[in-house]
Amino acid sequence: MAVLLKAQDLTTNFYTYEGAVKALDKFSLSIDHGCTFGLVGESGCGKSVTVRSMLRVIQSPGVIEGGKVLFSEKADAEPVDLLALTEEEMESVRGDSISMIFQEPNAALNPVITIGDQVAESFLFHRVAEMSQKICDAIDSGESYGLLTPYYRAMLGVAAKNPKAPLLKFCSQVPFLKWWDKPVKKEALQRAIKIIGKLGIANPEEIVTRYPHNLSGGMKQRIVIAIALACHPTLLIADEATSNLDVTVQAQILQLLNDLKKESISSILLITHDLGVVAETCEKVGVMYAGTLCETGDVKDVFSTPLHPYTQALLTSVPKFNQEGELQSIEGSVPNLVNPPSGCRFHPRCPKAMDKCSTDKPELKELIPGHLVACHHADRVIGGLS
Amino acid sequence: MTAYIIRRLLFLVFVLFGVSILIFGLLSTFSPERRAAAYVTTPKQAENIPLIIQKYGLDKPFYVQYGKWVEQVADGNLGWSLVAARPVAQAFWNYFPTTLELNLFASPLVIIVGIWLGTMSGVHRDSFFDHSTRIAAIVGWSLPTFLFALILLMVFYGYLDMFSPGILSSDLSLWVANNPDKFVRYTGMYSIDGLLNGRLDITLNALSHLVLPVVTQVIVVVALLMRVMRSGMIEEMNKDYVITAKAKGADFKTIYKKHAKKNALIPVITVAGQLVALSMEGSIAVEVVFNRQGMGWWLAESATQLDMPVLMSVCMFVGLVFVTSNLIIDIMYAYVDPRIRLH
Repeated sequence: MAVLLKAQDLTTNFYTYEGAVKALDKFSLSIDHGCTFGLVGESGCGKSVTVRSMLRVIQSPGVIEGGKVLFSEKADAEPVDLLALTEEEMESVRGDSISMIFQEPNAALNPVITIGDQVAESFLFHRVAEMSQKICDAIDSGESYGLLTPYYRAMLGVAAKNPKAPLLKFCSQVPFLKWWDKPVKKEALQRAIKIIGKLGIANPEEIVTRYPHNLSGGMKQRIVIAIALACHPTLLIADEATSNLDVTVQAQILQLLNDLKKESISSILLITHDLGVVAETCEKVGVMYAGTLCETGDVKDVFSTPLHPYTQALLTSVPKFNQEGELQSIEGSVPNLVNPPSGCRFHPRCPKAMDKCSTDKPELKELIPGHLVACHHADRVIGGLS
Repeated sequence: MTAYIIRRLLFLVFVLFGVSILIFGLLSTFSPERRAAAYVTTPKQAENIPLIIQKYGLDKPFYVQYGKWVEQVADGNLGWSLVAARPVAQAFWNYFPTTLELNLFASPLVIIVGIWLGTMSGVHRDSFFDHSTRIAAIVGWSLPTFLFALILLMVFYGYLDMFSPGILSSDLSLWVANNPDKFVRYTGMYSIDGLLNGRLDITLNALSHLVLPVVTQVIVVVALLMRVMRSGMIEEMNKDYVITAKAKGADFKTIYKKHAKKNALIPVITVAGQLVALSMEGSIAVEVVFNRQGMGWWLAESATQLDMPVLMSVCMFVGLVFVTSNLIIDIMYAYVDPRIRLH
């Protein structure tokens, strides 16, 4: 299958008073078209940093130090490096081709802006030309937008060709003239109502006039999803989208994402620490530890025959239904990434560590077709066999 | 909302009662002789002190004196101002417009400039602009007002002979005093009365006298507002909803103008409201240095001369201003922040 997004040697540091936190160290990942990819790992292992680096929405003091994020929206198109785009080009990618659902719906919505305004913004950033054209056509076929209709027609004719035309920017600064985009805003709100209704929220016409604090957690999460889905992204990144919701709502949201994937979006990158969710919804999985990818492959392969000691430990630490004896946990704790362990970052906690592990950083290798592992031990065992 | 406003205004009565009791109590700690002596100007009149005490009942118990004062105030008689040599109510309408005029120009400038500078330095954190405005703010905030006012006066009046102190040039104020039929004092503010009477020269003259006091007031007060706005902006720009907006494809301008600024303004409203309310009682330093006889000047003079009726009335006025300004702040809060409901 064609590759949709490929991160290569992505490196992100956070410059704090303690020193540089090496949150991502030469991280590589590849997601295919039409695939649901699960990224798992402990809290603080850099899952969110990964996707935020890919979208270049890292907040200070984070800095993307190097690497490439190759993105090919059409399966046969030449991939573009997102990290090499200008900020303006990147703005047109965010929310349109790639969009993101955030983990904390309470914090992810602006408390002082109405729901409708926040959802409609997505359309106003990416669909002004199309909406203007639609309104122009409507005016041409006799529809009236009040007294200012001729003015709207003239301005929207310009906007349909180039929404960033200097004339429009100038008029937006002038009192009265700045109302040229009123029909567009109205249309964007109509679209917002439509998409909110589609996500199973009753009475969307009323919801759009409300503020985030008027809604319940599950509803807020749906609004966050509506914002992300507004422009039918090719890749939807769900950053712990369901972690803070109760189990029933979580199931509903996951079901919703699955349904939506079928009709409108191509691929989903699901970030979670819940292995059960991954097993249920994903086709491929990547396991992260301390800013590096340890193992990736089909969910079935990785979960049935984990090759990396960290993945093995992670899987044994999940409570089983017929659990006997004490729950296994991983010895030690996540290392401080200001001074990460040399070589393999997992070696201080690894039961199978060898001398080599503390000096050489293991490369991600395809040991079994479709199943990549970064581990000297697995390399020796499997590599030695073949 | 209306019920809320009415309830808050009823609350005003209690505030004024408390303030008056407090100030009256403080002033009663002076002996009757000391208070009567304020009305004595020549050694010969000193003989009248017992008479004055008896006439005004200065030796009566506290509650009797207070009751008498309340009775008089209810009658609309605020007393006689020694400093102004006229009734307090009349003197108030003489001094208050001068202070109001200064604030009419200074307050909008303080709010606009403070919010703009704070936003810009918060958004472009650690840039050259940020550092220079912060240094300027610290200098403006820590330099004593009187010193700053004196420096301005020395440079602009002393060396450049541009903006003279006072309210109006002496020949114009003489003309105004001699022609009360040709120049009606509608508001008591020369800059506005000049326009209303069709005398543009008086307006311009009054404005030129306002330049230095306004600049002083703005520079001294704006620093606090700027710093509150800046830290609010920095805090809001690191919130999660900013990332959501960014991930939607928002450009930087939309992010800080539409998303962050609205949230950062919430604490600024409180500070701005308090600053404006505070400046309504007049800045003593500004009014004394620039020789503008406004509320601050009057209050300072009255305090040094133990002008009791003035002190009482001005303190009541300050209480009134603070209660109403807090009410306005609360109403604006509810307007800016949809999470707040007034009821």
